Amino acid sequence: MKNTIHKTLFFLLLAALFVACKPNLTVPTASKGNMDPTRYVAIGSTMTAGYADGALYYQSQQNSFVNMLAGQFQLVGGGSFNQPLVPATSIGVGATGGSPLELGYSTDCLKATSLIPVPIAKTGDVTIFNTSVYASEGPFNNMGVPGARIITAVVPGYGNPANGVGNYNPFFYRMAANPATSSILSDAVAVNPTFFTLNIGMDDVLAYAMAGAASDSITSNNNFAAALNLIIAKLTAKGAKGVIANIPDVTQLPFFTTIPYNGLALDSSNNALLNLLRNPDGIYFHVGSNPFIIKDPSAPFGIRLMKSNEHLLLDVPLDSIKCDGMGSYYEGIPNQYVLTTTKIATIQSAINTFNGILLAAANANNLAFVDVNSFYKNLQAGITYNGVAMNMAFVTGGAFSLDGINLNPIGQALLANQFISAINLKYSSTLPYVDATKYRGVVFP
Amino acid sequence: MKKFLLILIISSPLLIKAQGFQVNLQGQKQQGMAGAGTGLMQDAAAVFFNPGGVSFLAGNSASVGVTPTFANGIFLDADNNSVARTNSPVGTPFTAYVVWGPDSSKFKFGFGVYTPFGSIASWENGWTGRYALTYMKLQSIYYQPTVSYKVCNKLGIGAGLVYGTGDVEFKQAVPTADASGADGQADLKATAANWGYNIGIYYKPCDKLSISLTYRSQVTMKVTNGTATFTVPASVASNFPSGPFTSTLPLPQVATLGIGYTVSDKLSLAFDANFVGWKSLDTLAFYYKNATAALPYTKLPRDYNNAYAFRLGGQYNVNDKLTVRAGVALSISPVPSGYVTPEVPDANKVNLTCGLGYKFSSHFVADASLTFENLTRKDNNKALQLNGTYKTYILAPGISVVYLF
Repeated sequence: MKNTIHKTLFFLLLAALFVACKPNLTVPTASKGNMDPTRYVAIGSTMTAGYADGALYYQSQQNSFVNMLAGQFQLVGGGSFNQPLVPATSIGVGATGGSPLELGYSTDCLKATSLIPVPIAKTGDVTIFNTSVYASEGPFNNMGVPGARIITAVVPGYGNPANGVGNYNPFFYRMAANPATSSILSDAVAVNPTFFTLNIGMDDVLAYAMAGAASDSITSNNNFAAALNLIIAKLTAKGAKGVIANIPDVTQLPFFTTIPYNGLALDSSNNALLNLLRNPDGIYFHVGSNPFIIKDPSAPFGIRLMKSNEHLLLDVPLDSIKCDGMGSYYEGIPNQYVLTTTKIATIQSAINTFNGILLAAANANNLAFVDVNSFYKNLQAGITYNGVAMNMAFVTGGAFSLDGINLNPIGQALLANQFISAINLKYSSTLPYVDATKYRGVVFP
Repeated sequence: MKKFLLILIISSPLLIKAQGFQVNLQGQKQQGMAGAGTGLMQDAAAVFFNPGGVSFLAGNSASVGVTPTFANGIFLDADNNSVARTNSPVGTPFTAYVVWGPDSSKFKFGFGVYTPFGSIASWENGWTGRYALTYMKLQSIYYQPTVSYKVCNKLGIGAGLVYGTGDVEFKQAVPTADASGADGQADLKATAANWGYNIGIYYKPCDKLSISLTYRSQVTMKVTNGTATFTVPASVASNFPSGPFTSTLPLPQVATLGIGYTVSDKLSLAFDANFVGWKSLDTLAFYYKNATAALPYTKLPRDYNNAYAFRLGGQYNVNDKLTVRAGVALSISPVPSGYVTPEVPDANKVNLTCGLGYKFSSHFVADASLTFENLTRKDNNKALQLNGTYKTYILAPGISVVYLF
């Protein structure tokens, strides 16, 4: 019996030893290869700035893909990555002065309550626009400016309030070394970068698309190419290496694909009334889901039914549609809320051309190239990351922020990994990917 | 009008595990010999190993044993280099056997209670694979009344009726952030039960050699009263089917060929070849009573292969009281490439075991064994896109006491 006790003790001892005996796996060493991350500068627009949920705010800036990239660069000797952060206590501000969006309950004109993006406050913190942070926090490594186009990135005084409202970018004013003379490019070059990311050009077509192609314009090919060449020449003048991203098909962003073209649900009495009203215009309805009526100057009576491959914009006034007959009995949906097939083709064609210019520039300058357009196409089809399934659908897809244009933190992490992949390929570096599960998706109340 | 339907697919499967989830710890003498023992009739554990040989056991006996199982796992994500460890609690596979028969009879009766399948895995908080699994526990207990008949001095047959009960729980994170950014949680808990059987033939053509064939049937565990609990933000709760669910978990059939060879009075050898019918685990499905449009059911592709194991063990009687044992086993994993999951990241493996027995008296024997496994598997799970290397150490020291009467 005594022996048994001894044996028991022996096994308990073994067990205790085992608890201390843990398996190990060797983490591969990250290396920078042929890239030099010492001073990394990110040139870009809305996404680079970290703008999300319709605003620039402290947390969204922390979760910009370029900030994530800088974190990975720091594993291989990258320096600090200085961002023009808004105050942590501020709610942030959108391009038109609004506040960030969150998911919340909202009651519509039919007294129906649903969960939709709602502003977290009546207005954003517009003091951000009036407060230069360059002196206290600059110079900056993150030269992403919400709304910046490739052609405006090279314009001196792009942040100069003296140009008058609408003629300068207040997001750039607050971070410019000298608002009167700085361009995004000149401030970026002043940091003397050893490595850069260039993710710009989307806004050269996006503003036009978001206006329903009813106003604004797409940057001309020549101006696009000229600005790009200038940016690359300046950035690489001292031997900096970098990576260039192309432009996704913006017409497939949730902002353009969420509201269905055929959201007009008719019961028999409404169907009869509408037919009575619209049949003289050559428009016919049926019981069930019908396409909305949109304005189209080229249609015989200036209105027509939407086609299945046309897009309604996310900012279309839904209450007007639901209660005031917009898109049905009162008026066609105005052009500014619609992308017709013709406009979609124009936009896609411009993006294709720009992407050709971007790829050619990357090759000509021996820079890494990120095919963001393909990444978005893959996301549209569905991506699973460590068990998290995501796609491009608004809210339910999990990767986009509530503005339907910009990625949310986990989406930004997926984008950062696209850059890492391209950098590792081009520069023989072994940067680990960002652990996207460390970043949140959509926040639900 | 378009409402934003907040449909969240449970992106990541709720999972179950592999050959690791078969527990080959059913008798200390056999464990000392790498789990071989179907062909050597040693003690009441024959109720499990070969009902056909039970009638060849001398006298009556009862035994109880337990094998605390310590598992330490680590995962290295091949994409993001993050490292996570398990902090799994100790598993406690146990056995209890009794064999009895009148001396003059050709019949012997037996009863066994044992834990043929089980596992427990708990991953550290916030690990990169948490949307696949944070915690999983499976415990099965088989109750097996057995009768064995000695047809002649060379042949025995036996059969046992198996009643299997199971207890299972899975937890995983759900990618719904609340206001604080915290994940949602899914917790599926169930008990299950069903019947099966265990039959065997023991053939002893000469004094030194025995050949055994055994077959333990599949026990198709039916979950009729599972409870799914989804802890998610209130605004999306109605999209998750909290409440009862049903499911089926096949605990696979096992066929074994065993050969026992008595080299001398002191030395005997045992060889077992196991076939484990994991092919039955093709898809795991959970059907929710409160099915929602977003999540009517969960179906997880497993696509397992049948598994094989080969076990060779020997024991040496040092003297009248002391016996030492050692063994080596080669196990082929049923989990194909692209399907490895974090519950038990199974791998092909070779493991070594040792053990000893001590006869305190003609009535009382104690046995102990030590099993160590080192599993390493690199895989990119197709469904999860979870790519990395798992490494697991398993140490299972066991002890049992046998009472002969």
